[in-house]
Amino acid sequence: MSDKKLSRRDALKVAGTAAATLIGLRMVKKANASESAPAGERQWAMVIDQNKCNGCGYCVMACRAHNDVSPDITWNPVLEAGQVGDKNVYLSRPCMQCAKAPCVEVCPVNASYYRPDGIVMMDYDRCIGCRYCEVACPYQARSFNWEAFTGNNPAVPEWGEPEVDRRPRGVPEKCSFCYQRIDRGLALALEPGVDPDATPACVVVCPTGARLFGDLNDPESSVSKALKENPTYQLRSDLGTGPRVYYIPAVAKKKA
Amino acid sequence: MFKNLRSKLVITPWLIFLGIMGVILIAGAVTGILIFWKGLVITNLTDLVPWGLWITIDLSSIALSAGAFSLCAGVYLFGLKRYQPIARTATFVGLIGYTMAMLALILDIGRPDRFWHALVYWNEHSLLWEVTMCVMLYLTVLVFEAMPILANLEWLRKRLPSITSMMEGAHHYAPILAIIGLGLSSLHQSSLGATYGVIKARPFWFKPEMSVLFMLSAIVGGISVTLFASMLANRLTNKAKVNDALIERVAQFVGYLLIGYFYFRAWDALAQTYTYDPGRNEGLQLMTKGPLAFNFWIMEMFLGMIVPMFLLLYKPTRQNPFWRLVGLFLVAAGVVTFRWDTNISGFLVVMPFVPGQAIAYTSYFPSLVEILSGGAIIAYGLTAFSLGVKYLRVVDHTLVETEHESLHVMAAEQISI
Repeated sequence: MSDKKLSRRDALKVAGTAAATLIGLRMVKKANASESAPAGERQWAMVIDQNKCNGCGYCVMACRAHNDVSPDITWNPVLEAGQVGDKNVYLSRPCMQCAKAPCVEVCPVNASYYRPDGIVMMDYDRCIGCRYCEVACPYQARSFNWEAFTGNNPAVPEWGEPEVDRRPRGVPEKCSFCYQRIDRGLALALEPGVDPDATPACVVVCPTGARLFGDLNDPESSVSKALKENPTYQLRSDLGTGPRVYYIPAVAKKKA
Repeated sequence: MFKNLRSKLVITPWLIFLGIMGVILIAGAVTGILIFWKGLVITNLTDLVPWGLWITIDLSSIALSAGAFSLCAGVYLFGLKRYQPIARTATFVGLIGYTMAMLALILDIGRPDRFWHALVYWNEHSLLWEVTMCVMLYLTVLVFEAMPILANLEWLRKRLPSITSMMEGAHHYAPILAIIGLGLSSLHQSSLGATYGVIKARPFWFKPEMSVLFMLSAIVGGISVTLFASMLANRLTNKAKVNDALIERVAQFVGYLLIGYFYFRAWDALAQTYTYDPGRNEGLQLMTKGPLAFNFWIMEMFLGMIVPMFLLLYKPTRQNPFWRLVGLFLVAAGVVTFRWDTNISGFLVVMPFVPGQAIAYTSYFPSLVEILSGGAIIAYGLTAFSLGVKYLRVVDHTLVETEHESLHVMAAEQISI
């Protein structure tokens, strides 16, 4: 090796190290970015208090009406989750709107995508119906339209009026945090989570007030306060999906 | 007049075969129309088992087409030129296999009218997107690679000799096509395994070796099916002419590859028994003791690996065409079973997301509609291959093709003595 000139091997080594460092830096930066919500954006989240939920299922019906969901499909099922003391505990499961959503990562055509406000959206016009998202979702939050939903929606008008188009046959569908209510509400200068017209239907209809909705970036929002004041957990947080739905676990009431 | 026709029409085994295939194909076409008309609701697929028989057919036909890229790479890149006639058969098998996969996918996706979306809306992060792109591109490569084979059609030769000679000319690009084919195939054969391997929600799938297993089993199964088809064609018709010594050598190579595949598959299963991982061990239980136990132990391990390993590596059985044929068939059947087991095992274990809830199980058996339409896809493959043997000299080891363009390698410096 001559003393002044770099040999080809050395040049390759330098180039390789530089490339590896650059990629590494980019990955670190990316990882940091996904840690916290982007500043200045609204970040919607839901808190469900299992102490208050009595399993009435009103949320299921309101959801079906406002999102025009077929009776065969439930976006937001209420499941039995054991007992605490002598009380039955229920768990309502909307879409978790994961920060690192497996369904978005695997979709071959980008039909599932993140909105800047954190909602995981479905483009029903782009979806090819391969069902890989259904395979990847750990929460069974997606339901496939095995057949077209035709005819009357039995939840309408008792539980509300449809606000979005019915999904066609051959695509999976899921809860969207009632994005249509949020967007319309914001356009009317309403505050999602405070004003009923700008809040997801399941939150509005809940007779026990078990559901809270709001902006994680606003420290004064009901969800931010609830998260600060209560112990909460997320479903399958071990998977690293970063769900935006938090649960306040049911605790046995102390006998006075 | 009818009497005349009847005297001319002799019922041969070939016609009986075509008749049976025709019936299956018509049944498949009818069920296919039914599926597009009624939707996937008439299948036994559910939200818990959204991928079933069709996906298995799709995975299997892609796996069994892997002989095309591996043998073409051997012949055109590694200089094993004398195996060129086998690579030729493998290319045709690959062309059929990939079109079979396309047919299965068109049935399976909910919106077949939007199949082209993957080409337009890219999610380069999705393994299924990568697989779709590679399969589309590789199918194009296969069409070019198969040009010289398709040029053998006597009907076309007589009428358009200029076209067929141009098609034969594609042979000159064989080494370049082999390089592209090797790249695209390595990508998507392993990515099909990774399609399952990256799904963290289903712990029995979630492991990096999934892609290695898919790649290895595809090469083993793909070469086996090509050899099996060549030998079977040779037994059934004089249109197929094989060089038995050539097939025997490749069969021995398959035997050695089987050892590697067996090692990986056994290691993959055994290593999981050391610790308990929720969901993963339940999946393993299904495979080793549950409803998939027969598939795993008998079809995959014993008949799919150990028996053919013996048949293909022990000289007397390998030299006996019958036992070699049996061995090659068992390998291919084992690979298909592996695809079925892999797909279904991840779905049958239903992972809970509610804290404290137990792991549940579900079941799946394909509906008649799925079986009939899936059977028609297989029948299409068999018919296409037989027609190839009869009219395109697909299995003809006496056929000497014009030498492909040799790669001109320029020496950097002239050596002067």
